[in-house]
Amino acid sequence: MLALARFLIVATVVLTVVYGSVWFYLRARRREYLEIDWAAESDEPRSQEDYVRENLVEYDKRRHRTLVMLVYIVPLCLVTLIVYLTNFH
Amino acid sequence: MKYVKWTLIALFWTLVAAFMHYTLPQHDVARITDTLERRENPSENPWFWSQANTGSDPTLPRDVFFIQTRLADDSVMVYRNEDTGWGWPPYFKFDTANLQAEAADAKSTADNPRWVVIRHYGWRNEFISIYPNAVSVRFVDSPDVTIIPWMNIIILLGLGSAFWALRVRWLRFWDDKVDPVLEVAGDKLDEGGSKLRGLFGKSR
Repeated sequence: MLALARFLIVATVVLTVVYGSVWFYLRARRREYLEIDWAAESDEPRSQEDYVRENLVEYDKRRHRTLVMLVYIVPLCLVTLIVYLTNFH
Repeated sequence: MKYVKWTLIALFWTLVAAFMHYTLPQHDVARITDTLERRENPSENPWFWSQANTGSDPTLPRDVFFIQTRLADDSVMVYRNEDTGWGWPPYFKFDTANLQAEAADAKSTADNPRWVVIRHYGWRNEFISIYPNAVSVRFVDSPDVTIIPWMNIIILLGLGSAFWALRVRWLRFWDDKVDPVLEVAGDKLDEGGSKLRGLFGKSR
């Protein structure tokens, strides 16, 4: 059981680092896209700062949902699949 | 400096290749001649053995399953059969005793051979007494089956594309953000240099 605990702790730490890095990277990229969008929309009443900030909030939620699936759930399924294939197949 | 740089790069990739060669699964077509259990003292080269069970002293000898085989090319190969558990490499193998039972069941003689494919990882080295770890055994009809290592292809392609994606982004970041700053710093340094030269101009 100790080995399993150690595996889960290490996996959680590594995946959280991956989650954090990808989260910040995608946010920075989204911010650049939004700045370009703002420049393209001539009748946008908000200032660039407000426009980017309000849109980022929406994208933050979506990004969180997708990343939790990709970074935590997919590896968990993969490990389960490997355990099954190695031992019970 | 150029030689040092390329030596380091070559060394790094050699290490990566060796690590992959040790860790990724490989397949041997073989005939199992015997299965046995032997007392081993893995504390001398612990990297090439699995972790001792939790609670047992890792410095003490312990019993390890072995599978002795003759390969299809007529050379001999001995595999160890150990759990990897939740540790590295991530095969998550817990069914060592079952695998040993399967291997014992697959034993055959040279006169009446039954061929199996043994999936394994690791290296055999006689000088430091290390053995590849068998992961699974399955029967095949003849010794000349073609095995396509799909798993290795997928893993290596995945790792390669991940490395490439990171490298491209890293280089782009360096070109866009770091190089301009360094250039400005270099210019400043040059200006400062001329000021310093002016300051100590008299001594020239």
